[in-house]
Amino acid sequence: MSGRVYDPRGVVRAEHRDVAPRVASPAGLRLGILDNTKWNGRRVLERTAELIAEQAPFAAVTRYAKASFSVDAEDELIARIAAENDIALIGIGD
Amino acid sequence: MPAEAAVHAPDDLVEYYFEQAWSDGLPVVPPTPAKIGAVVDALGGDPDYPEAVIPPRRGTLTREVLAINMVLAGCKPEYAPVVRAAVLALCTKQWNLNGVQATTHMAAPLLVVNGPVRNAIGMNAGHNVFGSGNRANATIGRAIRLILLTVGGGTPGDLDKSTLGHPGKYTYCIAENEELSPWAPYHVEHGYAPGDSTVFVIAAEPPHSVVNHVANDAQGVLDSIVSAMSTYAHNNAVAGGSCAVVIGPEHAATIAASGWSRLDVRSYLWMNAGNTWDEISFGDRYAGGGKVYNKALPKWYKREPGARIPIVEKPDDIHLFVAGGAAGRFSAFIPGWGRMTSPVLRKIDGAAPPAGAVCVDGTCAL
Repeated sequence: MSGRVYDPRGVVRAEHRDVAPRVASPAGLRLGILDNTKWNGRRVLERTAELIAEQAPFAAVTRYAKASFSVDAEDELIARIAAENDIALIGIGD
Repeated sequence: MPAEAAVHAPDDLVEYYFEQAWSDGLPVVPPTPAKIGAVVDALGGDPDYPEAVIPPRRGTLTREVLAINMVLAGCKPEYAPVVRAAVLALCTKQWNLNGVQATTHMAAPLLVVNGPVRNAIGMNAGHNVFGSGNRANATIGRAIRLILLTVGGGTPGDLDKSTLGHPGKYTYCIAENEELSPWAPYHVEHGYAPGDSTVFVIAAEPPHSVVNHVANDAQGVLDSIVSAMSTYAHNNAVAGGSCAVVIGPEHAATIAASGWSRLDVRSYLWMNAGNTWDEISFGDRYAGGGKVYNKALPKWYKREPGARIPIVEKPDDIHLFVAGGAAGRFSAFIPGWGRMTSPVLRKIDGAAPPAGAVCVDGTCAL
């Protein structure tokens, strides 16, 4: 049989963006914690921040929450977290 | 951009589509230029026209890609307006397709079609309405699922994280049985004219059968549905949102003979179905000495021992349909995903919605 095959997937149109460089140490940095409001999300994130802080204390810790665990954080919230912190901690905690 | 892979077609195209994982696990119908062209024509031509972007992969659903998936599913070209309207409804912001695709919950899109298009394309609204045996029901629902798999990237275990899934993830599409319903059709209840055709889409669990062969009045039949709704195992109980109730024609006739309207039915179900706060909070047994709050439920619910917690926030969150065969005293309760999604009702053919409804671009928030 000759001819070509139809691909059902459609094209993904996206710009490539590099991720931010990793920090050498979180010590002395401002940490933002984004609670996704899942049942156990805040517990997982708070305990994780505690464990990191034992090794490398933060300059400040600020907490934020998404409107719903199942939708993207609003652009304004992401911009605020970026402006007010050096690093951010996110997670699910289902 | 033509959606053609740069390979020469192998002898066995069905096997080829299996090998590429461009399938739902069942054999697909190999697309041909003639079949694709017929569907694109039914969509209004212009094969490169982007109809939607399907999350979470965010693939572009051009008319040609929509046609490819419809042909793979086994659709006839005349199903195209229904499939397109359903896709556009799924892609409205409040439906939250990204969340439904990725969730660990088992939700799948349930489509309910109303209006003259049901009979024009030969849909089944009668016996075995949720089951197999009708090409339009089966392949419209299958085309939606193939689009979510291929364009949306909802591959199980990859971007689709559903723990269990359910059989509606192959196809989940019915029509309301307007002919055997004692009430106005669903879309008329929501402001459309009887001559309009619509598709309603809700993120839904599978149907739970409700049997009642003894009641000869509305209250008795509905108490059985209340019983099916009043568990704390489904998502509505702990996350609110919307649900669907499908009344079989015999049950509907009994309810209507008591003089009850659609609103009476929805209000009675809302008033009487529910759990206590103690049940859904497990009596604070797992609260680590504190108190359960549950942010997924409305702020105004009393979070106190003995307080009644309804299944959904208000009677309008119960979407009521009549469907199924003429014989049999059965109905069904269909839980939704929760308040993370809102169902959408959309007119088929893209015409402007009737005045008075709260609609944007042909899509009405319910």
